[in-house]
Amino acid sequence: MTEAQGGVRGWAATRKGHLSRLRFTSLRLRLVVVFGLVALTAAVSASGIAYWLNREAVLTRTQDAVLGDFKQAMQNRAGTLLPHPTQDELQRTAGQMANSSQRFSVLLVARDADGKTVYGSSGALDGFSLRDVPASLRAAVNKRQKVDSGNKYAYHLYWQRVTDHGTPYLVAGTKVIDGGVTGYMLKSLEPEAKDLNSLAWSLGIATGLALVGSALLAQAAASTVLKPVQRLGVAARRLGEGRLDTRLRVSGTDELADLSRTFNDAAEALEKRVDDMAARDEASRRFVADMSHELRTPLTAITAVTEILEEELEAESGSIDPMIEPAVRLVVSETRRLNDLVENLMEVTRFDAGTAKLVLDDVDVADQITACIDARAWLDAVDLDAERGIHARLDPRRLDVILANLIGNALKHGGSPVRVSVRASDAKDGEGAEVVIAVRDHGPGIPEDVLPHVFDRFYKASASRPRSDGSGLGLSIAMENAHIHGGTITAANSPEGGAVFTLRLPRDVSALTEGADREAEKGDA
Amino acid sequence: MTPVPSLLLIEDDDAIRTALELSLTRQGHRVATAATGEDGLKLLREQRPDLIVLDVMLPGIDGFEVCRRIRRTDQLPIILLTARSDDIDVVVGLESGADDYVVKPVQGRVLDARIRAVLRRGEREASDSATFGSLVIDRAAMTVTKNGEDLQLTPTELRLLLELSRRPGQALSRQQLLRLVWEHDYLGDSRLVDACVQRLRAKVEDVPSSPTLIRTVRGVGYRLDSPQ
Repeated sequence: MTEAQGGVRGWAATRKGHLSRLRFTSLRLRLVVVFGLVALTAAVSASGIAYWLNREAVLTRTQDAVLGDFKQAMQNRAGTLLPHPTQDELQRTAGQMANSSQRFSVLLVARDADGKTVYGSSGALDGFSLRDVPASLRAAVNKRQKVDSGNKYAYHLYWQRVTDHGTPYLVAGTKVIDGGVTGYMLKSLEPEAKDLNSLAWSLGIATGLALVGSALLAQAAASTVLKPVQRLGVAARRLGEGRLDTRLRVSGTDELADLSRTFNDAAEALEKRVDDMAARDEASRRFVADMSHELRTPLTAITAVTEILEEELEAESGSIDPMIEPAVRLVVSETRRLNDLVENLMEVTRFDAGTAKLVLDDVDVADQITACIDARAWLDAVDLDAERGIHARLDPRRLDVILANLIGNALKHGGSPVRVSVRASDAKDGEGAEVVIAVRDHGPGIPEDVLPHVFDRFYKASASRPRSDGSGLGLSIAMENAHIHGGTITAANSPEGGAVFTLRLPRDVSALTEGADREAEKGDA
Repeated sequence: MTPVPSLLLIEDDDAIRTALELSLTRQGHRVATAATGEDGLKLLREQRPDLIVLDVMLPGIDGFEVCRRIRRTDQLPIILLTARSDDIDVVVGLESGADDYVVKPVQGRVLDARIRAVLRRGEREASDSATFGSLVIDRAAMTVTKNGEDLQLTPTELRLLLELSRRPGQALSRQQLLRLVWEHDYLGDSRLVDACVQRLRAKVEDVPSSPTLIRTVRGVGYRLDSPQ
C-alpha cells in the first residue's frame, strides 16, 4: 500500500521533473533554432554565391581555352582543305585537329565533289555524330550572316552546353568561310564537373559545420543566461521551503546580477522579518511561561490556606460566620479554578517550549480507562466497552490527561451516557499497531463550523455560551499529549447523533523516546 | 513510631512556608521550618525530625544538594516539593535520594497523604525473615544484612525490598509497586520505582550494573530472585 503510493508519487515527481525540464528547454530550444536559422541563411547564401561564381569562372576558362584551340585548329587545318574534300581527307584532318592538348572530339562535315555529304570524325569519342549536335546549334552554325561594318564574318562559332547520360559536354561548331567545311567539336566537361562537385561538397560541409557551431554557440549563450535563471529558481524554491538563509552568489554587473542582488535583498528582508516575528513570538511565549511560573508561588500558598477554609466549611456549622460563608465558598472554588488554569497554562508552555517528556510504562489500556473514570467518580455516567488485555507502552499520566479531557468534555457538553470504546488494531504494513479509543456522547453534536476549531486554545463555540468550568485549554492539551505520543485525536459527529472523539495512539511509543528504556534494560545482564 | 510525627519543612518562600506550616499543623503534624538549606541541615541535626519536606528551588545550596548531603549520613524520608515544569527536576531529585515528590501548587491534603504513606513504610508488619543468597531480610527487626553486615536502607527502599521479597520470583509491575510501596493512586510516576530500584541495587547487589537479585523483567517490571 505504502509502496504503491510511493511508486505513484515517485512517478508523478519524475513526470513533473520532465515537464519542467521540457518547459525550461523551450527557451533554450528557441535560441538554438534562431541561431541555427541565422547561421543557415548566412552559410547557404555565402556558399551559393561562391559556388556560382566559381562555377562560371571554371567553365568559362575551360570553354575559352577549348573554343580558342578549336578555332585555331579550324583555321589551320580545316581552312586549308579544298572546298570539296574526300572522306579520307576529312577523317585525317579531324584526327589532326583532335590531337590537341584540350582532348576534344572533332566532327567535320563537307560535301565532296559529287555533292555527297561526307563526314570526318576524330573518333576519340565513340560515335560523335551529327545526332549529338543539337539541331538549334546546327542551324545557327550553318546560318549565313550578313557581312557589314559590325560583323566581319559570315559564319560564327557557336557553342552550347549539353548533358548526355549525366555527363556535361561542351558542343561547338563553326563553318569555314568560303570553305564549305563545317566543324563540330565535343568536349567532356566531366573533370570540371567533378571539381565543382567537390567544391559543392566542401561548401556543404562548411555549412553543416557552421550550423553545428551556431547550435553550440546558442547552447552556450543559453547557458549563460539560463544558468543564473535556474539558480534563481532553485533559490526561490528553497526560500519558499522556509530556508530563509538562502542567498545567491552575485558576480558581474549585468541585468542577471542585478536580479540576483534584488533576490538577496528580498530574502534578507524576509529573513529579518521572520526572525523578528519569531523573536516576538518567543518573547510572548516566555512571558506566558514566566508568568505562570510566577503565579504558582502565591497560588501554592493560597491553595494550602484555602484548604483550611474548606475544612472549616465542611466542619460543623457555626464555625464560620454565615454572612461571610458565601465569600469563603467563592474563594475556595475560584482558587481551584485558578489552580487548574495555571496548571494547564504551564502544561501548554511546556509543549510550546518542547520540554514535555514522555515517561513510559507498560499498561493495560482498559485498566487505565477504568481507573481514570473511577478517580473522577464518573462510573455511573460512562459506559465502557473495553476488554482487558490490550497492552500498550505509553505515558500513563498523559493518557489520563487525554481521557479526562475527552470524557469530561463529553459529559459537560454532550451529557451522559458517554460511551467509551477501545479496540486494538494490529500492525499493518507501513503502520504500527495502534490503540483506538472512541469517546461518544449523546448530545446535539458539534456544529460543522465549530468542528475544525475544537482543538484550538481558548476556543469558545459562541461568545454567549454560558461560562463553563473548563479553562479552554483541555482539548488542546489532549491533542498535544496525543501528538507527543505520535498519535492523534479526531473530532466528528456520529451518524446516530452525538459527537465522537477518536484517539489513536501507537501501542509502543518506545521508538519516540530513545534511551527511556535503556535504564530498564540494563538489568538483564 | 512517635504518635505525632515531627516534620522539617525547608522552603524559602515565606507565604508558602507559612501556609504549608499552617495546613500541616492542622493535619496533626509537628512542624519545624527553615528558609534555607543551610538552616535546614542545622535544624535536622538539632531536632531529628521523622521526615523532611524539601523545596527544590532554594537560595544557596539547592534542594538536590541538601538531599544528597542528608543521604550521606541519614536514611530518613525526604519528600521533594518540585515545579513540575521541568521533568528533569524530578529525575535529578529522585537520583539524589528523595523518596517521593509533590508538585506545586501543592494541596495540603495530598502532601499529608504522601507524608503518612512515607511514614507507614517504616512500620513493621510481620515477624519472619527471608534469605536471598548473602542477603538476609529480617522483617521483625526491620533490618537487612548482607554478608552479616547491616545495610543502611531508607524506609522506602526497605519497603520496596520487603514487597519484592514477599513474592520471590514473581514479577511486579511498576504500577503495582507504586500502589504497594508508595500508596500512589493509579497515576503514580514509574520513575519513582526505577530510581528507588537503582538505589537499592547499589546497596544490595554485588555488582549493581549486572544485578543478580533484583532483576528487570522487560515489559513488566521487577522481580526478586535468589541467586543461583
